[in-house]
Amino acid sequence: RWWQNRRARLLCMLALTFLFFVVEVVVSRVTASLAMLSDSFHMLSDVMALVVALVAVRFAQRTRATKKNTFGWVRAEVMGALVNAVFLTALCFTILLEAIERFTEPHEIQQPLVVIGVGVAGLIINLLGLCLFNHHGVGGHGHAHGHGHSHGGRQHPRGSSPKAEPPRAGGEAALRREETSTLVENCSSSNGVSQEKLGDMKDDVADLQVNGNAGHYSLDAEEVEEDSSAQLNMRGVFLHVFGDALGSVIVVVNALLFYSLWNPCPRDGPCMNPCVNNHCMENATLSQPLGKTNQSDQESITVAGPCWLLYLDPVLCLIMVCILLYTTYPLLRESALILLQTVPKQIDVHSLNSKLRTLEGVEAVHELHIWQLAGSRIIGTAHIKCPDPSTYMMVAKRIKEIFHDEGIHATTIQPEFASVGSESGRGKCEFPCRTQCALKQCCGTAEDNTGKKTEKSSSLSISCSEVVIEFPHNKTRRTKSESIPSVRLEANADQNEQFESSL
Amino acid sequence: MLPLSIKDDEYKPPRLDLLRKLSGWVRSILADKTSRNLFFFLCLNLSFAFVELLYGIWSNSLGLISDSFHMFFDCTALLAGLAASVISKWRSNDAFSYGYVRAEVLAGFVNGLFLIFTAFFIFSEGVERALEPPDVHHERLLPVSILGFVVNLIGIFVFQHGGHGHSHGSGHEHSHSLFNGGLGHGHSHGGHGHSHNHKHGHGHTHDHGHGHSHSQDYCHDDHSLEGTAGSSKQILQGVFLHIVADTLGSIGVIISAILMQNYGLMIADPICSMLIALLIGVSVVPLLKESIGILMQRTPPSLENTLPQCYQRVQQLQGVYSLHDPHFWTLCTDVYIGTLKLLVAPDADARWILSQTHNIFTQAGVRQLYVQMDVAAM
Repeated sequence: RWWQNRRARLLCMLALTFLFFVVEVVVSRVTASLAMLSDSFHMLSDVMALVVALVAVRFAQRTRATKKNTFGWVRAEVMGALVNAVFLTALCFTILLEAIERFTEPHEIQQPLVVIGVGVAGLIINLLGLCLFNHHGVGGHGHAHGHGHSHGGRQHPRGSSPKAEPPRAGGEAALRREETSTLVENCSSSNGVSQEKLGDMKDDVADLQVNGNAGHYSLDAEEVEEDSSAQLNMRGVFLHVFGDALGSVIVVVNALLFYSLWNPCPRDGPCMNPCVNNHCMENATLSQPLGKTNQSDQESITVAGPCWLLYLDPVLCLIMVCILLYTTYPLLRESALILLQTVPKQIDVHSLNSKLRTLEGVEAVHELHIWQLAGSRIIGTAHIKCPDPSTYMMVAKRIKEIFHDEGIHATTIQPEFASVGSESGRGKCEFPCRTQCALKQCCGTAEDNTGKKTEKSSSLSISCSEVVIEFPHNKTRRTKSESIPSVRLEANADQNEQFESSL
Repeated sequence: MLPLSIKDDEYKPPRLDLLRKLSGWVRSILADKTSRNLFFFLCLNLSFAFVELLYGIWSNSLGLISDSFHMFFDCTALLAGLAASVISKWRSNDAFSYGYVRAEVLAGFVNGLFLIFTAFFIFSEGVERALEPPDVHHERLLPVSILGFVVNLIGIFVFQHGGHGHSHGSGHEHSHSLFNGGLGHGHSHGGHGHSHNHKHGHGHTHDHGHGHSHSQDYCHDDHSLEGTAGSSKQILQGVFLHIVADTLGSIGVIISAILMQNYGLMIADPICSMLIALLIGVSVVPLLKESIGILMQRTPPSLENTLPQCYQRVQQLQGVYSLHDPHFWTLCTDVYIGTLKLLVAPDADARWILSQTHNIFTQAGVRQLYVQMDVAAM
């Protein structure tokens, strides 16, 4: 079923929209209508939005880690959604400006029949787009742009779903494999049925991914495989399409009403148009500028049709802009929050923190950060303070399980060990990431009890204004000296080398 | 029994709270040099746009009205930058474990997007006008555009050092001159202390979730030291580009007005617009590339060369079998975060490996590191 493929849908819509853009340009040249030309430019911006979405889909399929992008390109979809949301907002402002201009200087629609024709064609294309992207649109309504832009479905493919990831087997090795493969695609190693990370419309389906209990899902319909970041992308497209459809509707309605109700000035004969400012250049075809003295020709004067018709267009545009902004805002907010490294809303950091702390063997939890890479890929990092390495080994698995229960599958846990014999170190971070020069602990470690270090191990952290020099058999001695760090550097490097050679 | 203390917060009407919040924001805006400049320039731009709008309505000139709307549009870019500089100073809380520091990158990115949109819009208008040249009243437009040009020049001079002054070279310096980085860190500690107190006294409105850790203020410790440092770089760059775009627009209008009045070249106006649109588009590309790189969690360009050496050094540590799954990314300008996993021997000294690894990467400039150690099965 080719139409299930996100990219195919996007390409189809893109082709249609571009075709329509060309048609509109031609029509505008033929009928010498400026409004049609500006419309066609709006269509072009639609095409651009579709292109953005397509590019995002293409990039997001490269989930494999590269040297520069160690996370792969999975964030591309969120970015695509943000770009489209921002474009939509900017477009809204433009339309707002145009509507206000129309208020101050209303003009008639020239050749309403042509406008109706083009509007209907655009509406058909938009409805087609709506059908194509309908089920992606839950949570967002499309917004049409007034002015007859059939923005041919901005199809934001909601990101291509991540490729098959190897199912979770038991055991630690598989645990690790799955962790690395959640971030990095490991296509070649897929064995058996692949388990997709189901992203549903809501974000709190994360529990489905827990511990392989979600079962195996077959790769039949690609819609099922969609990640929630893919949905963000497609939602943006849907918003555009809907917006365009609404806009086409407005245009058609406006033109129909105009055609049926408007009483235009005939080309010949004097006519007065009370609705429009009588600037000579603007109403050349409509009315002849009449002075107030020509009251004697009353019977031959025709008055141009009901004036409120001229204001219908801007009013409808304003309404449409409001609807558009109202529905774009959630999309904007969601993608921006992901990019701001928020904790995903389904995860309660406090409870996670307390769960981790109540584990036995865990003294403290520092620097706990959880953020969403894209869709359902959540990454967590923490420093866990344990009394000694063996305790840590016992606790490590439980820690990982707690994270997995919450749906955080890519975790990096750094163990910290309390310095031997320092009770005051309890609870404080051994490697505090901000204040590495905290008075009590610098980055140097306590003496090595296994005795591997046979020479001076000055594990210097250059970031300290205090320099800690450790001697293997003495306690740590702190010297406040800011002297020649360059020398220290070499000393450090030297000792490393000496270490290697000692083995 | 009389209460020993009264919690005033409960009895405060919500309106006062909002006022306090606003005054807190204004104070924080005025405190920092960058945001102060932004604020004043925003006020200048807004007032000028209002004047233009009123004049356009009074003289019934559509061109002036649309130009004033364009200036309002630019003001939103300034407003976004200002909002970002305020927001990125907020403390971290439960929902934002890293704080709000990414806001500035996002603001730079959104500004870049708006600029591209503006360029596209100007281009399309230029094409429209080329095909159907309207009759433009240039005698009214010229003095106003000259005035707008002057305003934009002021903006350029104000933001010049902040915009292009910070090139990417500073990142390189951080990675290579370790002493500089170290000393910077040393000073930042003191700075942190001071700002810490300052913030405590400042206002508790944003003081959620302190938790057990010290208030995390990620990108602004060094910031306080170096003045308008890299942390506002994205915002400043976005704003600067916007102002440059505006200036180019004014120049284009002036040139085309002169050409049209003196030589009757009606085609000059659209051509100028199109050229300006292209220029704007081209100038925005570096900003966009950088922000996209940061937002896509790309390895920081300034670390690209040093990271392989660091990996090698770590792998040569005693007891380390291999290093895998390294991820390094930029949180905001000059703040790098990294995670990696080490496969170690069962009898290796975990503590020592940890501290050495931290040292190695601190020298490279990565201050936040998470090292996971997996013990190889024997």
